Order: sequence, then C-alpha cells, then structure tokens
Amino acid sequence: MLGYIDKIKEISERVLKEGTVEMVIGFQKGTLPMMNEPCFVKCSGDVQRLVWDSNCGINLANYLTDRKEKIAVIAKGCDSRNIVTHIIENKIKRDQLFIIGVPCNGMIDKSKIASMFEKEIIEVVEDQNNIIVKGEGFEETLKKGDVLQENCAICIHRNPVIYDELVSDMVEEQRDVDRYEDVRRIEEMEPDKKYGFFDDLLSACIRCYACRDACPLCYCPTCFVDESRPQWVGKGQDPVDIRTFHFLRAYHCAGRCTDCGACERACPMEIKVRTFTKKLEKDCLEAYGWEAGMSLDERPPLDTFRPDDPEDFIK
Amino acid sequence: MLFKNLMEHMGIEPDRVHFSWISSAESTKFVDVVNEVTAAVKALGPNKNFIIKAA
Amino acid sequence: MKVIKIEKEKWDKGVEKLNGPLRLFGPVKDGQFHNFKELDKNQQPDLNFLNTRLSPKSTVFPQSEVMFEYSLDESREDHHIMKEIDQDYSPRAVIGIRPCDAKSFLLVKRNFDTDEYKDPYWIRAFEATTFIGLACNNPCSTCFCTSADCGPFHEEGLDLLLVDAGDYYLLKVITSKGENLLKVADWETEADADTSGETSGNIIDTLKKEAEAKITSSVVTDRLKEQISLELYQAPFWEDAAFSCINCGTCTYVCPTCWCFDIQDETHGISGVRIRNWDSCMSPLFTLHGSGHNPRGTKLHRVRQRFMHKLKYYVDKYDDGIQCVGCGRCIRLCPVNIDIRKICEIMNNYEPAACACPA
Ligand code: SF4
Ligand code: SF4
Ligand code: SF4
Ligand code: SF4
Ligand code: SF4
Repeated sequence: MLGYIDKIKEISERVLKEGTVEMVIGFQKGTLPMMNEPCFVKCSGDVQRLVWDSNCGINLANYLTDRKEKIAVIAKGCDSRNIVTHIIENKIKRDQLFIIGVPCNGMIDKSKIASMFEKEIIEVVEDQNNIIVKGEGFEETLKKGDVLQENCAICIHRNPVIYDELVSDMVEEQRDVDRYEDVRRIEEMEPDKKYGFFDDLLSACIRCYACRDACPLCYCPTCFVDESRPQWVGKGQDPVDIRTFHFLRAYHCAGRCTDCGACERACPMEIKVRTFTKKLEKDCLEAYGWEAGMSLDERPPLDTFRPDDPEDFIK
Repeated sequence: MLFKNLMEHMGIEPDRVHFSWISSAESTKFVDVVNEVTAAVKALGPNKNFIIKAA
Repeated sequence: MKVIKIEKEKWDKGVEKLNGPLRLFGPVKDGQFHNFKELDKNQQPDLNFLNTRLSPKSTVFPQSEVMFEYSLDESREDHHIMKEIDQDYSPRAVIGIRPCDAKSFLLVKRNFDTDEYKDPYWIRAFEATTFIGLACNNPCSTCFCTSADCGPFHEEGLDLLLVDAGDYYLLKVITSKGENLLKVADWETEADADTSGETSGNIIDTLKKEAEAKITSSVVTDRLKEQISLELYQAPFWEDAAFSCINCGTCTYVCPTCWCFDIQDETHGISGVRIRNWDSCMSPLFTLHGSGHNPRGTKLHRVRQRFMHKLKYYVDKYDDGIQCVGCGRCIRLCPVNIDIRKICEIMNNYEPAACACPA
C-alpha cells in the first residue's frame, strides 16, 4: 500500500496538467502520529504534498458534497461506495469526477494503538505488514492486521467499485467474514439490558456531532438535531436527547451507510457509534439483499417501492 | 420495518411500537387496531425507558 | 512562600477530610481516558494522567446548565414567569487541575466578569472554587504552554500547586483561599530543607526547569499584534487551512478557553426550563439570523473566526497574549488534524505582498 503514493502523484500530476480536473482531493502528512489531513492540490507542482499510508481513514467523499469543480478524488473501497451514493443522491455528478481508485488493505485504529501503551506515542512508521510504534524509551512492532480499524477488519469491499484509474492491481477481498457478530450479541439481549447497553455506550457523548460531520451521508443544510423551530430534540445533556440524536442519525443513514468507519474514527470520546448503523446495515442486507453504494444503476431500498413488499410489520 | 427494528434494538419492547395504515373510511379497522395496541401496551405496563424526566 | 510537605499516605487522608466540607471535583478514569467528575464520598482523584480528555471548564461552566424554570399552568399565579432556580454554590475544590487549564479560567473570566457585564452563574461558581493544581512533570508532545504565556508549573489561576517530588508531594501555597484548606485537610507540616540541605523551593525549581525543558512544541506569536486584522481576514491561505475542517466543533468543546454558549427553552407539558448549552463558532447555526441570512455562511468563515478570535481579536482587545493556554487538546482531538500551531505560524508570518501564490 505504501508504494501507491508514486502512482497517486503521477496520476494527479497528469490530470492537473492535462486540465482534466481543477483540483485533486487527497491527504497530506499530518502533524501527529497516525494522522493525515485531507487536502486539495490545484497545481501540478504541488502534488508532492500528497501522501498515502494506513492513516487515511477519513472518507474523502465527504469533501465532494455540492462542489462545482471538476475534481480528481482518491478513493478506497468504502469511499468509492460513498461516491456512488453521492452520485445517486445528486450531490455530485459522475462527469465532474476523476476517481483515482485505491485497492485498500485497511486503515489502522489510532485509539486502539494509543490504548495499548502506557506512555505517549511519539512516532509511528509502517512497512508492508507492520506498524512500528515509538515513544520515550520504547519501540514496538505490531502486526498491521491486529490493529486495523474495526470496520476495516471486517471489510469485504476493499476494492473501489467505481474508478477512472487504479493505482495498483486489485487486492484480494476478505472472505468468510462474520460482519454482524456484535449486532447479534445485542439482538439476543432482553429489552432492559439493551436499553442499558446503549446508555453505557453513549455515556461519554458530548454532542459535538463530529460523528455526523465526518460522514458523507450527513449533508443536510440544517440537521434535525440543530433545528430549533420546531425543536425536535432537546439540546442539553439529557441522555434521552443524546440517544434520540444517535438513533435518528443512524436511521437517516439506513440503506446508505457503507461502514466506512469515518464517524467512529472522528469521535473525540471514542464512542463506537457504528453500533447503531451496523444494525441497520444488517437489516437492509437481510430484508432487501442490499449493500449500499455498489452500483450506479440500482435505487436504494428506502427510495423504492415494490408491490410485493410483504410489509408484515404493518397491521 | 428498519425503524421498528432499530427501536427494538436499543431496548424498546417490540409490543410498544406499532404501525398501521388506516384509511379515513376504515372506521372499524381503526377501532380494532387501537384496541389491540392499547391491550398490548397495557400488558407491558408503564414505559420505564426513553422518558425525559420533566425538568 | 509557604510550602507544605505531604507524605503520599497523608494525601489521600487529606482529600478524604476535604470531601464533605467541600464538593470535590477531580480527574477520574473512565474507559481510555480521564475527565473531571464530582467525586463521591470516599472517592479519590486519580492523579496518574497526562491531561484529561475534556478540559475542566465544566466544573465552573457546565456543558448544559439550567438557568430558569417556568410554568405554563394558568391556574398558578406565577405562570409564564421565569424564575431563577436554586443552584449549589457551596464551597468546592477542583483537585489535580493542570496549570494550563487553571490559567484558562483567568482568560475566560475576561468574558464572564467585566465591569459592565457580569455572568452570575459563572462568577458564583468560580468564586466558590478553590483550584488545587498538579504540576506537570511530564508534558505531552502536543503541549505548547511555555510559548502561550503559561507553563507546566505556572501558578496563575491556582490557589495551591501540588508537585510530585517522587516519594512525597510538595504543596505550594499561592493564595489565602488555598491556605484555608490546609487546616481542613490537616496538611500542616511545612517543608524544611531535606537531608541534603536542598530547600523545597529549590526542589520545585529544579523539577520545573526539567519539565520546561521537556516541552518540544511551540507557537510563534510575536507578530500577531502588528498584523492588520483586515489583511489577515482577507488572506488567501484560509481556503487551504479550512479545507479539511468538518465544522464539528470538537476543538471548541474540548478547549478550556472557549466560552460561547447558546440559550434554549425546553418545555415538557406545562412546565419548562431555560437552559444554556455550550455552543461553537464552528456550527453554522451559531450565526444564523432569524431572517435566514447567515453572515458566516461557509466553513471558511467559521474556521477563520475561530482562529482570528483566539489569535488576533483577543490579542488586540486585551493586549495580553493569545486566547489559548497551549493545552494541545484541539490538536490531539481534531478528527482531521487541523493544528493551531501551524495556523498560528501562518498568521504570524503572513506577508500580504509577498504571498504570490501561483494560481
Ligand atoms: S472500510 Fe474497507 S475500503 Fe474502507 S478503509 Fe477499511 S478496508 Fe479500506
Ligand atoms: S454512518 Fe459512519 S460508517 Fe456509515 S457512511 Fe457515515 S461515516 Fe461511514
Ligand atoms: S462524535 Fe462522539 S462525542 Fe461527538 S456527538 Fe458523536 S458520539 Fe458524541
Ligand atoms: S478544526 Fe477540527 S475539531 Fe475543529 S471543527 Fe474543524 S474539524 Fe472539527
Ligand atoms: S486552542 Fe487548543 S491548545 Fe489552545 S487552549 Fe484551546 S484546546 Fe488548548
């Protein structure tokens, strides 16, 4: 995956020079270990700023919403599915985009890695399969496979589903992955236990809404949770209001979420917010055989009606 | 269906949430459904979760 | 200067004695990180942390605070009248606050406690609080307090400063408010010179120098004051700087020096409350007018506002440094790695004419 960057730079330079696009959206090196910053490059001389490694977990589809320029965007598997969703939802046009597809090997989980060490991590470098973590008086090599973001560890669509050019051959997709073990565990609980489980899950939430803002699906000009006329949800720290925000945010992503993990990665309080969206993803798969963002030609389940829908939940 | 499932998933009892489609012409269906819903919810007893305590 | 020596076992006992006469707030570990919480009876603050995830500002300025209550019940005489609610402003102490966070209260005070306007909620809570600081022997790599007019042993804003000297603590008395606690906690042994004749003052000084030397990160602020506001405002670098921001407001919520809030009424049935909640200039709704017009309509406007406020408007208005104490939280927690050190440098070194960005 580290070798991708040369190809990314080459393509970016070419499409900028040839005038195919006005800007390239990618990542530049961050100022902290395990962090890169989304950036744009407008002139071909600047492509040297671009980087690619296992710290590019932010979903770049989020930066395309309603843009008017012609853009080249670097897309992992999940990003590409969110780009498809964006195109279907008219948030950007296909012909505005030059998609630089990146067959992905997964992104690493910075919170998990930080929690494995008593001391502060000062530097993290990687080679093909290893992550080398350094701090004051320690250096340790971790297997990349052991420290992937949770969504990446169970990802079954690592290759971009839509692209104009790929930076490498396709990677092998993971097979026999049990994607919903955690959802089933909750499904089996009694109602009160479920309720308590989500209370604990959300107890640290500060309602910053980073989870919402990092998600490409959340592009409403005014989110229901911010609306004050009418005030759909209380704005304070009442746990019921917090929960209402979370479950409705998730519901608004039903049939659209690609499990890219950007929401969870963004949360400053390390709350596993995918716990909500994964239930919806599982139900969409089981009820409609639907996976979001796989094709430009199919309408998502919540904006279609089939006369043969059993609708057995309606009396 | 997704919505009902999600409510149940976070701990709302299945019988507390009901969906029905009733036309203004279907008066007796309305009565029956309401009776069914109230009976189901009464059987569960008062809701304990997902309530904002009056400030 | 009075310095008290506290053996480590006597520390816990002293805290226990304080808990009761005072409401205590201290760092508590919850999951992967520490935050300030009100301590239960018998609960001890956990002093084994670099810094808390959230700043302790909530001990004086809660994220969500009820100000008034009202009734809509017309059979009551006081219906539709806002009534202030009773709050607990009995004496309290915040234990284990880092010096940067303690100083932040003085910055925030400039906003909540002026000659003209006084915020009664903030002032009452602030005045009820004694701040017991914990000096940083091991600052993080993102701390830049020493270049933000603060430091790992800085005393401004503190009433007492606790220094971990290895086998025992030294507690430096800074104000009389701090001194008043000593008796209650039974921490009364003044430190004399140790066996090698080193005075406690010297020991603290040595630790302080060591800690300061460990701070590797800094901001440059020397030219901020002379920059022209409008030129910075119109500078082209904001497009680049603001691009990655998702306007989540995390940076402002975790910041000890961000003081903005929003007021909302919440009615349940026939009674209701008026609450104030933290708000953030990063939110589009922050400046949305009733008419629908939004003067800070784009992300660029909002990112610029945050940094201009902290690093330019504040600097100009108070002529006493930046509105930042260098705690580094916004750097560590921004989901897309927007770094105030980097933006500060760009603002500080900005040369309007010289910026010939190739188009
Ligand atoms: S979810 Fe899949 S495609 Fe996306 S970053 Fe993880 S492994 Fe790559
Ligand atoms: S809800 Fe989270 S996982 Fe799903 S698409 Fe949005 S950011 Fe990605
Ligand atoms: S990002 Fe985390 S803390 Fe912020 S609103 Fe979402 S879950 Fe809550
Ligand atoms: S600077 Fe970072 S933390 Fe602040 S609003 Fe922007 S994305 Fe969020
Ligand atoms: S601006 Fe950032 S570094 Fe400065 S006080 Fe606020 S959170 Fe800390």
